[in-house]
Amino acid sequence: MFDKHAFVCYNGGMISEERLRILTESAKYDVSCSSSGSARKNAGGMGNGYVAGCCHSFTPDGRCISLLKILMSNDCAFDCKYCMSRRSSDVPRASASPEEICELVIDFYKRNYIEGLFLSSAVHVSPNHTMEQLLLTVKKLRTEYGFHGYIHLKGIPKADPMLAFEAAKYADRMSYNIELPSERSLKLLAPQKSRESLLAPMRALSERRTAFKEEKRRGYFLPAGQTTQMIVGASPEPDGQILRLSQALYRANGLKRVYFSSYIPVVRDSLLPDRPAAAIREHRLYQADWLLRFYGFSAEEIAAESENLSLDVDPKCAWALKNMHLFPVEVNRAPLEVLLRVPGIGAQSAYKIMQARRYTQLTFADLKRMRVVLKRARHFITAGGKFYGEKREQMVRGLLAAGENSANAVQLSMFSEMEAARSALTGQL
Amino acid sequence: MIYFYDGTECAFLCALALAFCDGDAILTSRDAQLSLGQQSTFVRADPERAERVRKRLLSFDKNCMRDLSALLRCGDACRDAAALGYFKLLAERREPVRDMLAEPAVAAATECIRRVNYEVHRFHGFVRFLESESGALYAPISPDNDICDLLLPHFKARLPQFPFVIHDVKRKKAAVYDGEHTFLAPLERAEVALSADETAWQALWKRYYASVNIPARERLKQMRGYMPVRYWKFMPEKQLASLRQS
Ligand code: SF4
Repeated sequence: MFDKHAFVCYNGGMISEERLRILTESAKYDVSCSSSGSARKNAGGMGNGYVAGCCHSFTPDGRCISLLKILMSNDCAFDCKYCMSRRSSDVPRASASPEEICELVIDFYKRNYIEGLFLSSAVHVSPNHTMEQLLLTVKKLRTEYGFHGYIHLKGIPKADPMLAFEAAKYADRMSYNIELPSERSLKLLAPQKSRESLLAPMRALSERRTAFKEEKRRGYFLPAGQTTQMIVGASPEPDGQILRLSQALYRANGLKRVYFSSYIPVVRDSLLPDRPAAAIREHRLYQADWLLRFYGFSAEEIAAESENLSLDVDPKCAWALKNMHLFPVEVNRAPLEVLLRVPGIGAQSAYKIMQARRYTQLTFADLKRMRVVLKRARHFITAGGKFYGEKREQMVRGLLAAGENSANAVQLSMFSEMEAARSALTGQL
Repeated sequence: MIYFYDGTECAFLCALALAFCDGDAILTSRDAQLSLGQQSTFVRADPERAERVRKRLLSFDKNCMRDLSALLRCGDACRDAAALGYFKLLAERREPVRDMLAEPAVAAATECIRRVNYEVHRFHGFVRFLESESGALYAPISPDNDICDLLLPHFKARLPQFPFVIHDVKRKKAAVYDGEHTFLAPLERAEVALSADETAWQALWKRYYASVNIPARERLKQMRGYMPVRYWKFMPEKQLASLRQS
């Protein structure tokens, strides 16, 4: 048994390596790490926003380090089944003081290790106490330490809404994690949380943000908006349902991003699967999410509510294969929206085609030279009336599936973390 | 004819004037192997002549000098050919050619420019400053392309109160911000006395890097793709040997 409070010692100054380790290891399963969307200006102190987002390093798991991702405390009063910080779990506990977090941020930022802070916390003592500590920290960082870099703050469910509104003046982005795709699973696996305790603060913040913008008030109020995250594979909801939920969150709550995190068993529980969810599933969900956000697709077009995404082919291919009557399209004439729906043609390729075809009738050789990837696209396009693909659907399906290797498969979920506009554009679908 | 030039904008413009009507022209700023039978000449940088060429080109495309500047920063061997091809095409067509992506010359030049811009973006993240005793920051880098001064605006806007030096150790020059002005200076070697806390902060950063990783999901190929090994030299978190075991 660990002594619960062995590491809780506020001595100011530099945090110890051991506490940094504990507070980071409990925070690292949160997948959102993006630092994009804020154009916060430097107002004298240190730092500014970087609209496209910026990756400072990459860890051996292939993920980008953009923000210092850390918990203020992992000493939790709640008991969510899937979480290693839950009350009933026997792990070393630690907390950090606001000053320790601030100094860590300042000194890491100054050396260009990080783009900013992602501050989260277990529910330490009570929701209000925890939210107060988070608020105190970001306020200090902005006002006393003069920090203008990126701050992503996790909202604590069931805390006083006024605390969240106050925090929103200092943070660039906030997130309440929806955790599980249905109320039922949430009840089962996170008994102290309810769908409403997560959605209500999201809605309230979103309303305030709209009002803030309309009244053109001074200062900032979550310039990079809100995001959320749900765990995939810990509970039985199919992809179709997950995508409908994401779509609703984008449309109704004005969220900037919905992140998916493949379930990784860090604790054993009879209610939870023993095995991690397949990385490919998370990858397919991100691809589908991409289609929702940038390619003009709706959740209904991508998958029926009770259906899972195909693991063999990406969701855009799957859609195209179901709609073969719409193809092939002529690259020299098809409008942008149509080009974007061609499997294998990503946003960047589509724009390149739009530009280049103003000067010449494009051929397959031209497309190749322009580095448009044709492996999948050739089955769905003609160039100057010529077709180089395979017409029979069964054949196409086989070719497409064979063309995808597992190395490719993780690429997109990485991009979704980087979200650097430039890199995102190469996430060809 | 092979035209040697010194890699500067001025000499490039003069070379362009000479090579324009020469269908077999090869332009190079390196000690290329001379193939027998081919004549070569060293292009002298003549500012007046360059100015005339520049004016002409700008009348075809007012943004073309930006492309040239990026092209000449490219560290890739193919950049001279790409730049020559691109500007020959511009001079022929007498209108912006930037979007004619199906033209081989434009495709080649675009690729060089993309690499330069992409590396600038990457280094906004990959630069690692060391804190010196005086509080000034020092970052050694060794980029593929000649970009160290392009990093100045970003870091100046971000750290206005910290004088800093970004030292391209390969090209032996430094982009400097003295707390007020930015400038480029030749710099062979730098000796930096580190601040008292520097090592401790580096240790914390390494600890953070090791802790935030999810070992069960190792994807080394991805990591190296996003952050190529040649950039690791100056990143404390990649000098991990001692931490791995702990
Ligand atoms: S509230 Fe639940 S998910 Fe959050 S730290 Fe506590 S146990 Fe973990």
